[in-house]
Amino acid sequence: MAAWFSKVFKTEDPTKNSGNAVPAPVKTVATDRPAAYPEGGAPSPHTPPSREVDDLPKARKLVSAPILLDETEVSAWSDEIRIKAKLDPHGYTIVFLVDRPVLEGHSFMARDQDGAFAHSPLAASIFDLGGIVSVLIHNMTVTVNRDGRPDQSVEEAAREIGAQIRAHLKSGMPVLDPAYLDQMPPVEEIRAGLQKVLDREINPGIASHSGYITLNRVEGNTAYITMGGGCQGCAASSMTLRQGVESAFRLEVPFLGALLDETDHTAGINPFFKELPAGMGR
Amino acid sequence: MPRLEKFTVKIQTGAQGLGTVPKYKINGFPLEFDTQEGGTGTGETLQVMGEVQSFPHSLTLDGPRDGQAWEIEGMEVTYEVYGQDPFTIRLGGVRLDDESDLNLWYERPAAVLDV
Repeated sequence: MAAWFSKVFKTEDPTKNSGNAVPAPVKTVATDRPAAYPEGGAPSPHTPPSREVDDLPKARKLVSAPILLDETEVSAWSDEIRIKAKLDPHGYTIVFLVDRPVLEGHSFMARDQDGAFAHSPLAASIFDLGGIVSVLIHNMTVTVNRDGRPDQSVEEAAREIGAQIRAHLKSGMPVLDPAYLDQMPPVEEIRAGLQKVLDREINPGIASHSGYITLNRVEGNTAYITMGGGCQGCAASSMTLRQGVESAFRLEVPFLGALLDETDHTAGINPFFKELPAGMGR
Repeated sequence: MPRLEKFTVKIQTGAQGLGTVPKYKINGFPLEFDTQEGGTGTGETLQVMGEVQSFPHSLTLDGPRDGQAWEIEGMEVTYEVYGQDPFTIRLGGVRLDDESDLNLWYERPAAVLDV
């Protein structure tokens, strides 16, 4: 049994104190509690329970302190392209942080090899390495999702992909096909398309979970959203975003690049858990 | 979800102090820390340890009550997770009022390497 559970509920082994495995019989004790219902009998089932507002537990906000990172080495600008790879614990996602812009003004998402080969020489060269599911290029980062190769550890994959990014940037080849950029619709058109999907499909759907999604802004073809209501702090918010919202957005707006969630999922009135009922805790 | 065996919080109390040793909440249940060292006064450092032995969906520092506020200068939280090496998260300054709790649950930071 979890240590904290025993402390909260004061559970004890009944055989410990008495030395007897048979638990003591439960006694019914008369109390001076008032009658269950005042004169007039039980209230109608439609009558809300009369409870003083002060009895109810107060909703408490959850705040987050800023996380302090170790000082990173700052180097002078040089011809050598420096890349750091950030590995997720499961080894499926690797974020490459490059010390210079990879793609400015716009972002690009390749969700399959065909999309990469059609529009982005850099994404295509990463797909060529094998075991790649998607490539997102945005500002100074390249985010690679992979399903892995059995012959390769995640560290080896990170080194191989990092070397490929460096070689591509050094070669002077374009990151994104210029013709693709020429076809890019204006920001207003992208914003209107995304807002339409939110208003017609997504928000009516997640309203049943008391959730809603707000489109904060669109920069180039990069969209920034916030998840609110029941979505904020929900354990399924990431799945909702990636499998529901992102898929619907990309169907309507194929030129959408990065979709970034600006929600602080650890903050707010009620993320992750509910306050204890009155009478439990302090 | 990893099983948290215990966690240690080092709090730099700041100019205002805390006035009292805070509690923590795991999955919404308030508990007192198992050990404490140091002080809660102005400019002091308080080190507390909670033995959890469970799977936290949420882990929070229970904030002040009754009109009080804390101006915490900085914190260091060390987690001992079953089957893994301990890891530490450093947090910057934060203000808690009598309606707020502080999030203390962070996953192990992602590994970063030069490639």
